[in-house]
Amino acid sequence: MKTKRQIQKEATRKIILNAAYQMYANEGFSATTNQIAKAANVSHGTIFVHFPTVDNLIICLLERFGSEINEHLHLLSEKDESLETFLAAHINVLICYEDFYKRLISEINSLPQEAKYVFINIQSVVSFHLNQVIEREKEKMAIKEIPMHIIFNSWLGLIHYYLTNNYLFTAGSVLTDHKDELILNYIKLIRK
Amino acid sequence: MKTCIACGMPMKKESDFAMGDTSKEYCVYCAKADGSMHSFEEKKQSLINFTIKTQGLDEAVAEKAVENMMRQLPAWKECF
Repeated sequence: MKTKRQIQKEATRKIILNAAYQMYANEGFSATTNQIAKAANVSHGTIFVHFPTVDNLIICLLERFGSEINEHLHLLSEKDESLETFLAAHINVLICYEDFYKRLISEINSLPQEAKYVFINIQSVVSFHLNQVIEREKEKMAIKEIPMHIIFNSWLGLIHYYLTNNYLFTAGSVLTDHKDELILNYIKLIRK
Repeated sequence: MKTCIACGMPMKKESDFAMGDTSKEYCVYCAKADGSMHSFEEKKQSLINFTIKTQGLDEAVAEKAVENMMRQLPAWKECF
């Protein structure tokens, strides 16, 4: 059983991670620990009690984000889901985290190396589910002869382009407004 | 919800578990035909191959990313 002190420590850690998530989503990864401490309503020093470095804070946050996406996507994925259903599930998950995800894909190259590896592993969860759907479609001879990584990277490239250039397409959420169009036309590109 | 100790996949349905056995701590993808769990090297290589196949990564990058992921998982704590 956890002590009161442990429970309090975990709660504070969670508050800091939530504040960091919101701050990075709003301001980008250049947001300072001072800003995060203020948003979390904790002292600046408290952040470093829980996360020894800023890099460590970012990596822990990305790991938590990856676990949430993993769980969310797994719950939405059904055993025999169609390609349309899976792609819609992927977009729906991203809509829940849209502002943060947009910052993440725009700034990933300037984040620490370990964060880049966490990012790859977040995408591996998506590629795992998409691969299962594509394998089933291939058995039905329904997909063009395209290597799996090109199928996956084309999908990711498409949604990342719309996300990073949101302003070109809508004043609101680009994934919400263009979801149906993106899914429909992506499938036209890869299906026989 | 349980997550696989060897790859981190959430396990919600019976079919997610090795041999459909919900008392197992690892998933169907981390089990061999006899139901035992993959070794560290087997799992590492299969994850590297999978990452290259599905994301087209350079092999050295895939290896680093897989090691980074495996380091966090309970099954492989002793391997690093």
